[in-house]
Amino acid sequence: MSTESSPPLIAAQLNHLALHFPLLAKIEAKWSGSKDYSGVLDRFTLAISYCLDFIKWDVIFDAEYPMSAPDIIFGPEDESFQQFLVLHGEDPKSPMNRLGGWDSRDPTQLMLLVQELRDQYMAYQMKRVGEVQDDRVKFEISTIAFREGIEMHLSSGYDKPEEVKFAVPLVDTNINKMVPGCPWIYPQKIYLQVIYPVEKKYVSTPSAPRLKLVATPDLKTLFSIDDVKLPTWLTGMCMAEYLPPLEETLEKQVLEAVSLIDVRRRFIEALAVQFGRPVEADPIFCRKTTFLAASGVFTFLVHLTITTQFPKQPPAIVLQSSQHFNPQGVPIKSLPLTDYPFSPRWEASLMAERIWDFLADEALIFKKYCNEQY
Amino acid sequence: MEDPSVEKIAISGPALASMIQRFSTSRGAVDGLIFGHVSLIAPTLSDDDSSSSSSSSTLIATVTSFFCSNSSLSFYTPSGRVDPLLLRRLAQPQPPSSHLLGWFSGRRRTHLRPSLREFAVSNSLISNPNLTFPIQNSPVPIAVDLKPCLFFLFASPISDQTIHTHEYRAYQFRSSAHSFDPKSIDIVNIGPAFRGHYGAFSPNSQLPALPCELRVSPMNVDKGEESLGQLKKGLKAQSELDMCAEGLEVSSLSRLMGSEAVNYTSGVEELYEKMLVKIESLARQVENSSAKIREQEDHNRKLRHKATRTAGL
Repeated sequence: MSTESSPPLIAAQLNHLALHFPLLAKIEAKWSGSKDYSGVLDRFTLAISYCLDFIKWDVIFDAEYPMSAPDIIFGPEDESFQQFLVLHGEDPKSPMNRLGGWDSRDPTQLMLLVQELRDQYMAYQMKRVGEVQDDRVKFEISTIAFREGIEMHLSSGYDKPEEVKFAVPLVDTNINKMVPGCPWIYPQKIYLQVIYPVEKKYVSTPSAPRLKLVATPDLKTLFSIDDVKLPTWLTGMCMAEYLPPLEETLEKQVLEAVSLIDVRRRFIEALAVQFGRPVEADPIFCRKTTFLAASGVFTFLVHLTITTQFPKQPPAIVLQSSQHFNPQGVPIKSLPLTDYPFSPRWEASLMAERIWDFLADEALIFKKYCNEQY
Repeated sequence: MEDPSVEKIAISGPALASMIQRFSTSRGAVDGLIFGHVSLIAPTLSDDDSSSSSSSSTLIATVTSFFCSNSSLSFYTPSGRVDPLLLRRLAQPQPPSSHLLGWFSGRRRTHLRPSLREFAVSNSLISNPNLTFPIQNSPVPIAVDLKPCLFFLFASPISDQTIHTHEYRAYQFRSSAHSFDPKSIDIVNIGPAFRGHYGAFSPNSQLPALPCELRVSPMNVDKGEESLGQLKKGLKAQSELDMCAEGLEVSSLSRLMGSEAVNYTSGVEELYEKMLVKIESLARQVENSSAKIREQEDHNRKLRHKATRTAGL
């Protein structure tokens, strides 16, 4: 028996959850509650993504009785959630039914339980937000609740002011389908996070909500949401007013970002005319490429990193010697070079030509730099 | 108003220590029932006690005994529904002054917060209308019945770095708000500092009421054949006494009263001595059976692990 493992029945549940629910739930810490064998891991923390944040719940199995249903301890801020669950326990879709009829031989049980709990959590938060005595929040819910996939959360604490957070999925198109040969397994999404402070009493000009764009992490290789400038929130605005123009511009920008893949591809192809076939190139997003070049007997690699802002931004060039190594045996590299003759208005072939010319001089400087390193 | 708030929960030091002991020696999670009574303490009128300025009287729950099942899920389903039959079986033999106050749960290396199942069990327990009990010393106007609403939670810290080994917390489950209300635990020990608690003490003796005037004089023995019924009664009384003391005859109980009361001291000493002998022999029996249980448990565990291992494959 290995020193640290879960009992087989529990391990099967965990594996299934990790394989089929990767975006929504992560298994964080695992530990043992066993008296005699501290290597039997039967409890763990589950981080569930909700409303652009993570909620953490502890799932407690008992290694002594691996066939029994697990128990769940919610976070200290979610203690009234169990009240919601138990009072709605008669609901046919309630997770309480699954706990009651737990079948330990079916490895899908834990995943289904987590899914049902998350659905109930969504309903619970929606109910809490619905009970907030704030006219603006009430109005916003009534106008945007129909949007699919919207999540809301009421955060409150002893020392924090109450806030209502919305996570609104934007751009209804499937971005994965727009990228030829897309490597992403999960659909990429952009969300607008809107946070309203709860106003207990009537205010004539309520403060603007805090706005932030959030995207799934893989999307940044295609499109960086940090480059998007959010339109200003005018006094008296509501989400139903704010969202359509924002979605329109975002959709345009995503389309443009997709079309820029081809621009980068043509640039790499133009470089190949000067440098020969690339040693390496990113074939899908065309964000990186490496060429082998020589200046006399001095051979070196040319790494080009192309940003999503290309051709507005010149690619960063890093030279790497094939002949010079530092004492640790790592090849010597130059600092990223961005200050060279470049114009976004040039044809790709002209850009490649000018880079070639620039590197003819730069290679000598880099060779001298490499020799000095010895 | 139908849900009175318990001010605090009193428990004797040994009872709490014994609960912790059961929790810490068990292999897995444990649960059990707690018994005791709730009494109403009228506001004190003394001048030197200005702190208790609240005019209303307070409710104090006193835990006097508990039952530990040595496993979890002993009287409820995994979804937290209480099984009335199982509960009745576990809670049945209680003296009349002791009521089911609630239950407790102990789980190793978890956060000290009620879990989903614990919430469901407490909610199910107070929903059972057959489990209500009256408040002691309650004046007639507020004769509200209480429900088994108490919950003791035992846990041990998740990280190994902490100094303490156990944590516990007590709650009252409020039926009106459907939530746990944390309550302070008052540990009661014997000593001058705890004299205030003696007022709430209700003696409950395990010694049965015995007819000790039976066969007082040897003359009765002579007329024995005509009082077969009396003889039977005497035998029954003797067997009842044998439950408490070893080798003490019912007839010698008469030395504790009446004209022979001069021998009172030696009589009581004899009673106590025999009671101690009884306790000792009981303890030996418990020790032997515990060893057997442990053996059987080990065996069961091995079988269970084998079973789940093959089931998992």
